[in-house]
Amino acid sequence: MRSFISQSRGFNYWRRKATNTVMSGVMILSALLTVGLLFAILGYIMLQGVSALSLDFLTQLPKPVGEPGGGMANAIVGTMVLVAIASGIALPVGILAGVYLSEFGRNRLGTAIHFVTDVLTGIPSIAVGIFAYALIVLPMRSFSAIAGGVALAIIMIPIVTRTTEEMLLLVPGSLREASLALGIPEWRMILRVVVPTAGAGITTGVMLAIARAAGETAPLLFTALGNRYWHTDLWHPIAALPLQIFTYAIAPYEDWHAQAWAGALVLVALVLLLSVAARIVGRERYIR
Amino acid sequence: MSDVHIHRGTWSGLAILGLITSIIFVTIGCTSGATPPSALDKGSPGGAASTSGQRASLTGAGATFPYPLYSKWFDEYRRSVDPNVTINYQSIGSGGGKQQITQRTVDFGASDGPMSDEELQRAPGILHIPTVAGAVVIAYNVQGLDGGLKLTPEAIAGIFLGQVKKWNDPLIAAQNPEVRLPNADIAVVRRSDGSGTTNILTDYLSSVSLDWKSKVGAGTSVNWPVGLGAKGNEGVAGQVKQLPNSVGYVELAYAEQTRISYAEVQNKAGNFIQPTVRSTTAAAAGADIPADLRASIVDSAGADAYPIAGFTWLLVYQEQTDYGRGQALVNFLWWALHDGQKFAADLSYAPLPDNVVRLAEEKVRSITFQGNPLLTVQ
Repeated sequence: MRSFISQSRGFNYWRRKATNTVMSGVMILSALLTVGLLFAILGYIMLQGVSALSLDFLTQLPKPVGEPGGGMANAIVGTMVLVAIASGIALPVGILAGVYLSEFGRNRLGTAIHFVTDVLTGIPSIAVGIFAYALIVLPMRSFSAIAGGVALAIIMIPIVTRTTEEMLLLVPGSLREASLALGIPEWRMILRVVVPTAGAGITTGVMLAIARAAGETAPLLFTALGNRYWHTDLWHPIAALPLQIFTYAIAPYEDWHAQAWAGALVLVALVLLLSVAARIVGRERYIR
Repeated sequence: MSDVHIHRGTWSGLAILGLITSIIFVTIGCTSGATPPSALDKGSPGGAASTSGQRASLTGAGATFPYPLYSKWFDEYRRSVDPNVTINYQSIGSGGGKQQITQRTVDFGASDGPMSDEELQRAPGILHIPTVAGAVVIAYNVQGLDGGLKLTPEAIAGIFLGQVKKWNDPLIAAQNPEVRLPNADIAVVRRSDGSGTTNILTDYLSSVSLDWKSKVGAGTSVNWPVGLGAKGNEGVAGQVKQLPNSVGYVELAYAEQTRISYAEVQNKAGNFIQPTVRSTTAAAAGADIPADLRASIVDSAGADAYPIAGFTWLLVYQEQTDYGRGQALVNFLWWALHDGQKFAADLSYAPLPDNVVRLAEEKVRSITFQGNPLLTVQ
């Protein structure tokens, strides 16, 4: 018996086993490389940025070259304001569009919207910025927080729409049928059963869209413009972390480079916080 | 079971939506409440005193090169001259500065290269106010050579034309008998993006080399015969530092901050001149200045003038459309031409020579609102 088994483990067996081992190894390495890249980036930014990070950095306005101290408080608040404006526009539009696509979009219009949303996702963000510049900055004759917010909203809308749609499609048909069978109208079923069931997934999509918007530089260059001081109102230029990092990184001065690294650290921390929050919310439905 | 599930979903969803909306309103509310109302920005022709107590917030955009100095100026002006005037300057590039002032989306533009006649036709009434001058240095990385390289205009043109290929080429070696130059290929590094720095260098090369003028010409981005592209001053400086036997061109401030070696250049008078703040000011003083101040100061005639230099300008409309902001702008310009100049040298910018300050003063005096001059400080 024993000799029969060892005989059957011929060349083919060992070849397959070797292929299996090699390919598994390659895949594990690739996975490790992906994780390693994330940690390498985080670690490097941490290493470079932490020395310039201080309470002043989070609470003070920028100082000119050659004066120690100063911070990016205006840029941190500015990024939040920009993201808030963008969310105010993109979340209602994106979520409602997602509901339409999932619940009523089984027609030609739905297919068209679906396609256009996909195209919109692929448009380079600098083009979105130029569009917002022509739409708002030129007629108003001023760079503004509103223009920046609109540009970011255009980037967020397709992301929110598509995640909402996909999350709603995951809601089992039996749940819909059950609620309709109980005699409630369709709108009520969507509002009270379908959307809440997909709530955690939608929230995850929303947070990822916000994280994406918070890190964008290109669409803000010609819309929000940037500001070294507190913004006066939403119709005037406003500071943003990515813009400030960009400006400081290309300057010839060491202390500005350090500040740029600290700014990058704060930005990455903000985005990471949102992503982690999105994971926790997304997991909530399964842990009970 | 599923009933509980749905309810839980509703609650967490609602809670998170609520949280997001409250963050939105709190951030918007906070920031607009914490800052002074901007209705005052649109000042009416009221207080005419020098620092009138009117709030004004100005926006400017343009050249990257003077950004550190300008940010210093605007902070200093707000701190020690007029606390009511906030000037926000963003470095989007010289091209962007010309474009934005033409579109009137900013109160002033900034550029390292003057606007062409064509560009001025699209934006009539723009004045060029020079603020400081800057030098472009020929930076190099040659092993065993920490400084003291001397270059003639012919050698520089030859290098950037790709005709001088080796570091021990006679055109270079003849001026540097005490230096051992390697028999190595010259790696040219140049800007890949449009740049005022490129404009100054190519303007210089066009005025010293007929060959360059006919083959390449001057401009913010040109068709380079040779070289490796790098983005921005910092990109070129970094590339030159890393690449053995390379040569490139950067603004003086970048060369000093990155501790890169740079060459002495032979000027029109035949002297080899080290690029410094002083020799750059000398270049500005020795140049012919046209009435509209769109002056090129490359290859200047002065004996101590460093030949690869240029002005940087603020671009403003002669007729302002808002009294309060126009006045704030004019008073700031006056300050920049006088008290502001003393901040320049520390940051490796060359202060304007006196003759240029006099000419610029006239321009600032000529800025008006509804035909009346705006300048109130003297």
